[in-house]
Amino acid sequence: MASTRAKLLIGGAVLASLVLVGAYLAAGGASYEPLKSQDPCKPRPWRDPQGLQQLAEQFTLSALDGAACQLGVSRETLARALATDKARERFAKKYGIDDEKLAKAIRAGLVRAVDDAEEAGALTPFIAVPLRGALENIPLDQAIELVKDGRKIFEGASGILGPVGGFLEELIP
Amino acid sequence: MNAPRPRVAALAAAVGIVLADSSIVVLALPEIYRDLDTSVAGVTWVLVSFNLVMALAAVPAALLARRLGPGRTAAIGLAIFAGAGVACGVADQLSTLIIARCVQALGGAAAVTAALELLPAAVGSERRAAVVWAGAGATGAALGPAAGGLLTELVSWQAVFFVQVPIALAAAVPILAVARDEASTQVIEAETRRAGRPHLWANLALAMISASIAAALFLLVLLLIEGWRLTPIGAAIVVTVMPVAAYFGSRLAPFVPSERARAAAGAILVSGGLGGLALLPHASVWLTLPPQILVGVGLSLVLSALTETALSGRAPQAIHGGWTISARHAGVVLGLLALTPVFTHDIEVQRRDAINAGTAVLLDSPANPLLKIEMAKRISERLDDEEGKVPTIGPAFEPLPDDPEERTEVVGLREELQDQLDRGATHAFSPSFGIAALLGLLALIPIALARRVDL
Repeated sequence: MASTRAKLLIGGAVLASLVLVGAYLAAGGASYEPLKSQDPCKPRPWRDPQGLQQLAEQFTLSALDGAACQLGVSRETLARALATDKARERFAKKYGIDDEKLAKAIRAGLVRAVDDAEEAGALTPFIAVPLRGALENIPLDQAIELVKDGRKIFEGASGILGPVGGFLEELIP
Repeated sequence: MNAPRPRVAALAAAVGIVLADSSIVVLALPEIYRDLDTSVAGVTWVLVSFNLVMALAAVPAALLARRLGPGRTAAIGLAIFAGAGVACGVADQLSTLIIARCVQALGGAAAVTAALELLPAAVGSERRAAVVWAGAGATGAALGPAAGGLLTELVSWQAVFFVQVPIALAAAVPILAVARDEASTQVIEAETRRAGRPHLWANLALAMISASIAAALFLLVLLLIEGWRLTPIGAAIVVTVMPVAAYFGSRLAPFVPSERARAAAGAILVSGGLGGLALLPHASVWLTLPPQILVGVGLSLVLSALTETALSGRAPQAIHGGWTISARHAGVVLGLLALTPVFTHDIEVQRRDAINAGTAVLLDSPANPLLKIEMAKRISERLDDEEGKVPTIGPAFEPLPDDPEERTEVVGLREELQDQLDRGATHAFSPSFGIAALLGLLALIPIALARRVDL
């Protein structure tokens, strides 16, 4: 009798444990974790942009990916670093990145965004070529502003591209 | 010896207050962590130091009680415990607090082991004394979390230590009569039996299972307060499920006489519960309840069975009781020291991953770009304020925009970001809970050996 109770107790303990662990596994317990950051060097598909605002957003994300890829950090880390001056300073210190290196990476990111936009059919070569040329020499502060808000590249295109910029709003899909 | 009821109550209170000390402090640790501006690893030593000294001092304290007299040892021990409690309460630096905790443990070890020496005379038998002693310890541990959470939230973390002072001093008063008898007669009832060797396998299993139980309580409290942002009293209510389940679990013991079966079943339940905590499918306190029930029932079965095995047929009980105290507290220390580096590293990794995931949610959301830029600034400032900790993201979204459409977008973003942070905080504890579960399962080896090779 005592032996049966002992076996029942141990069997009950095993069963209760297996049921609990099995139920939590079935409910997704093994994969309940934050989303993993995507490799910024891998191409990210463009959604079909509906108007200037969406085009600007896609452009911003592509530029961030491109710059992050150059710097060897995640897109998210770079986005937070560019949010405030303090965050930028901390980022520069942590990763040993000076302004020159940052500017170079952001310019490369902006150029990649133009490439991606052209590939997605959002920009015609007629616009992409001069835009690419203009972005390759843009000052750091202006480059950061463009990455933070891609609309400025299109809204303020006349400043960047000169007379060509005026046609932008009419030419983009 | 005349044994008035107040003396039995005082001895039980002395054991309860000392053995409650680990669990009562656990819920104060997050407050101490913030107030003394230390690290998770640093604050762990508030718990580790006490348990380490208890582990080292328990057996020498039992020997001292037999030489000096248990009454005097218990009274002096309680006085030291109370004095060190005051020092803990006024400590404004982590190092001072840790030193005071060490002194508190010295006093506590003396009081607890001497109490086991005094109890047989007070209650009439060694067996009854062991039941009262173990019951007082279990009651203290059961009440500890709720009391600690209540005091920390309603008063302060210092109150957790100050409240122990009058209880320890009140418990010492009836024991003083025994101490006076010992002093006036100069006769110590010296134990004539030689202290046999401790039960190696039972004490080893006790150490291993204590390591996993301590980890369960400590990690769960940290997850609830630091990860899921519950208040101390909220966390106290949640973790009280464990001792309540332990109470009901203890009712099973009389139906199963086999100590080995109870110990094995208990270890399996503790491991199963910890396995459940390692695999939480969502950040919800409700989902912690089934694992806690398993851990609670399991610990009541395994601790009582192993303590009975360790004391069975061995004399004097105070010395062997000292060995069980030593094994349990050594297990707590080993568990905390082994798991602290694991979960502090995982918390940092998951914090970074959660923040990255939250940023990705923000970047990819269809919200107005200007709104996203503003949100990104506010969140970045929020992260600056709470560097090194799992951030509270809610205030970054206040005040909510007046425009209904923007308000809906912001609320949606806040929920998505919070979900990523919850995922990060929860997942950070999974490997540690998993290791603790494994430790509980490994305790089955000495449990299996305990009967076959009785050393």
